[in-house]
Amino acid sequence: MFEANMDEEWTAGYREPCVQCSAVDWGVSDEGRFYCRSCHNVIERTREVVDPTFTPGSSRVSTIGKGSRTKKTERGHQWNICEGFQFILKKQAEALIRLGVSPRLKDEVLCELWRLYLQKSGQAFTDRPLTSFRVNVRGLDSDSESAAEFSGRSVSDTDGETVASSTVLSNAGSSVDPPPCSGSSDAVSYLTAQQLRSSSLMTMRKTLALIHIALVWIREALTLSDLLRLVNEGHVPYVNAFEELPDEMKLEGKDHLIFKVETIPSHESVHKEAQALLHVLQLPPFPPISCQSLLHPALLSLRYLTELNLPDELHLWVCRLMEQAGLEDQTVHTVDPLTLYVLPRYGVQTAALIVVTMKAVFGVDDLTEWEFSGQTGEQDDSGNLFNLRRWYKLLQAALIRAQQNKEHDTARKQWRSKRDVSTSRNRKWVAVKKKRTAEQVQICFERLSSRPAGVERIGPSSFRFCWGDEDGADGPGLHHLTLDGVLTLKHGVLTPSHSTYWHPALQQCNYWRCRSHYLKFEPTLPRMFVWLLKLFSFLLDVKPASLYEEVLRVERRVFGSRTPWRKTETKTETKTKTKTKTKCRPKTKTKTRPETETRPETKTKTKTKCRPKTKTKTRPETETRPETKTAKTDR
Amino acid sequence: MMDDLERELGRFEDLKHEDDFSDDNSTRGSKRTKPRRMDAGESYKTPRETGFHQSTRICLEHIREALLHHRWQEAAEYMACYPQKLEDTATSQSEQYTELVWRLSTEILHQHPNSKLDDYNSIYERMKHSGIRHYLMICLEHSFHLLLNGHIENAKNQLSAAESWRYGKESGHVRQQQIVKLIQAYRSLLDYMIWCDKRFTHFDTDPSSISNADMHNYFRQASVNLKEILRNPGVWDPFILSYVEMLDFYEDYEEALNVLKNYAYDNTFPPNPNAHVYLYQYLKRHEAPERKLIKVLKILQVLVPSHELMLEYSSLLLQSERKKDTQKALEVVLEMLAFACWKSNLDAWKRLKDIIEKLQLEKNWKDVVSDKMAERKNWWPALHFTSFHFRTDSEENPELVEVKASLTKILCPDLTMKYSAGQESA
Repeated sequence: MFEANMDEEWTAGYREPCVQCSAVDWGVSDEGRFYCRSCHNVIERTREVVDPTFTPGSSRVSTIGKGSRTKKTERGHQWNICEGFQFILKKQAEALIRLGVSPRLKDEVLCELWRLYLQKSGQAFTDRPLTSFRVNVRGLDSDSESAAEFSGRSVSDTDGETVASSTVLSNAGSSVDPPPCSGSSDAVSYLTAQQLRSSSLMTMRKTLALIHIALVWIREALTLSDLLRLVNEGHVPYVNAFEELPDEMKLEGKDHLIFKVETIPSHESVHKEAQALLHVLQLPPFPPISCQSLLHPALLSLRYLTELNLPDELHLWVCRLMEQAGLEDQTVHTVDPLTLYVLPRYGVQTAALIVVTMKAVFGVDDLTEWEFSGQTGEQDDSGNLFNLRRWYKLLQAALIRAQQNKEHDTARKQWRSKRDVSTSRNRKWVAVKKKRTAEQVQICFERLSSRPAGVERIGPSSFRFCWGDEDGADGPGLHHLTLDGVLTLKHGVLTPSHSTYWHPALQQCNYWRCRSHYLKFEPTLPRMFVWLLKLFSFLLDVKPASLYEEVLRVERRVFGSRTPWRKTETKTETKTKTKTKTKCRPKTKTKTRPETETRPETKTKTKTKCRPKTKTKTRPETETRPETKTAKTDR
Repeated sequence: MMDDLERELGRFEDLKHEDDFSDDNSTRGSKRTKPRRMDAGESYKTPRETGFHQSTRICLEHIREALLHHRWQEAAEYMACYPQKLEDTATSQSEQYTELVWRLSTEILHQHPNSKLDDYNSIYERMKHSGIRHYLMICLEHSFHLLLNGHIENAKNQLSAAESWRYGKESGHVRQQQIVKLIQAYRSLLDYMIWCDKRFTHFDTDPSSISNADMHNYFRQASVNLKEILRNPGVWDPFILSYVEMLDFYEDYEEALNVLKNYAYDNTFPPNPNAHVYLYQYLKRHEAPERKLIKVLKILQVLVPSHELMLEYSSLLLQSERKKDTQKALEVVLEMLAFACWKSNLDAWKRLKDIIEKLQLEKNWKDVVSDKMAERKNWWPALHFTSFHFRTDSEENPELVEVKASLTKILCPDLTMKYSAGQESA
């Protein structure tokens, strides 16, 4: 025991991995030479290798207490977990600003949100900070340089004193008895389950949620899907974001459990997190998202249409449908504690709108759209008509390519930090050794294959596909083509040529009890529809199920809001056929008739004219079926 | 919301749990009892898979695919991305991943056109030291590779280093001990090779010089190990040959014979025809009496009736004065001829003819022949004496036709098929 301690004293400064076995476990032999305790390799300890990552700031003297000098310098400064998060948030915001987001994001919005968050979650700016939560001034201000740097961070001037005042009391205690092997002062309390559950402390995922809220606040044209994609491609720091912490903030021990990231959170989970944050923050009404805002479906749909190589003409129909669904109103999209306290999923909603529009225009029932494509092919002499079959072939090829590329990128993605990471001191040398081994193997194969590991960094882009004539494009652009093939002139108004609109049962079921019926219904849905869902869910990186739910929600807005909910039928599989003739204004005639014993089928005939006028007919055909009634209200 | 928190917490819990693990290899015993989270063979998706695990899983799939289709360049590219798995802290099965990386890496290096010996050395060294379980195995493989590339001295150093390797309880493990034996055996074999070199270069020119002593030194090193190892049941063919050769050289005939006898007759050893061959060859070299030779070959005949030495065996039996031996010789040759490799061998048939001729000197030779042929008469004609055989034989070897034709009537008196059908007139 004594010997080991002596050895440690001697070898403390020497953190180089052993040349032979890469272990960092040095002992001193009787002759005073260094040897590796793991492979007994004796080295000539004459070369001083200066490695800044191992002994940061060793040239600075920042101790006033007793104890060995080397130990103190290795620990760096005392800091809090939330300081770490603050730093990471700052880096993320800076990265986004570099990518072209308005500079207001950082100082005006995110900083305020962060301050509000700290206050509401009881971590700072409060009279009664969380009990076990010690906030510490960077103590021992012998290093004025770093202190200046700290106070210069995004939470500036005003909060400095608050943090200080709330925590001066804890200063003495924590500096006398710092928790063992932790760089931050409060990692342990941060990690207790109690804390995490009750006080909504910060997590890495929450940084993204907070950024997302900030982006919505400044109405930046960056949906959650875009944000996550930027994160995934490494344009916004997230994985190993702690690497960017300054040297003074050393990550040790439990800190890694908080800052280490091994997965990019899903769209759904970040949205949930943001939703929860919204409740914690209790924000005032957000700035309105009007038709001119890029997050509004009117403009967002234009972007998606371009991305998917759909004709521009379709945008008109999307807008019409949006009107009909009542989604053009800005109140539907603006978060407001009084009217809408749900964070809308702008991307998913817009995608759902496009899917519904395509169903209305093309049919998307595995039959109509192909018939139309056949007809269009015959009629088309000039080559100006949009042909769905051609589009499908183009898109399918591009989709498969993109999916493969994505999978290759996933396989090549490197997650490990360049910094040495270990959760406890006695594991440290094991971790360093493993890292060294992995690096060596990697270098060997990089040399062999003459290709570096990891994903090739490409410039950030809002688009996944590229259409046009230039090199590397996924195919020719179809944006200029017209929809004349599927539209006919009726009473002087252009309407889709086919008159049926099908949709699954629109009744709402208990949100808590059954989340999604997509998996159950998927085999019965038309393949083209399922493919469309998959296309969009790939584009937005969401689950097809959640997009399906959103499509139903839009359809409910278009048709369903006028039908009373059928509470008894939540579990039965229902297929509704709605006949639609769309004009500027909806005038719907709905026929609901259960056709088979097992599957009540609803047929809705919708005739729309310019004038609001409604007529509903419900005709139950079998006596045994529960009768469905369709009520009509016109907008 | 709650769900996700639970998940998050669960992950922390797991990580904390891992935290308690010491990766120190000496505590493996306690690690066994902990629940497993990941398996090296596990390549399926789990619902809670992290992005990191997903990446490594897909990467491994790609490597596998590339290996299967012999796309070595692609495999090497993905292999450069895979080693991060070694840093996985969420698993207690790191040894398995080490093995995986070791085997994949060497396989790719073997096949990739640009691989150099340095790459091998670096991979082997790294893998050797990242987990003690495979240390010896990798040492052995490394030395094989060096041998293949003609670096005998290096290979020997590797093996010597591995030989002296100890790691607490682990080196007492049965599996490890077996590998240690192998390593010792190969090290001795290399000693022998160096001994051979020296023998051919120095001994002839200067029999009593220092190099002779040096050579003897190698002999001593090799023999100490080999003597020990050859007591263990197993197939030690190249080792025993080299050992015997060295003993022979230093004229320790008794020991050599002992070793060979032990190798051939010890019942704990797996049945090994070569053991008897070596013994026979040794005896023959030292001009042992015929009876001893016959004794050895008799056992070999039981083990491998079609062995090439059977021709020698039959001739030995033929030379013997005893009556029974002639009959035995007949049986040996008849049995040989049932094998495809001997079927159209002229020497074998000639031998058969000689035996029959010798038998014919006796009175009851017909009984003896029909007695031996009794069990064969059903299928021998079809195997040897059809007109098809006649045609092929006469095309390939006219002399054989003569011998066979002369034996036809003797062996199968009631032959219905005609061996000489086409040549009836001739």
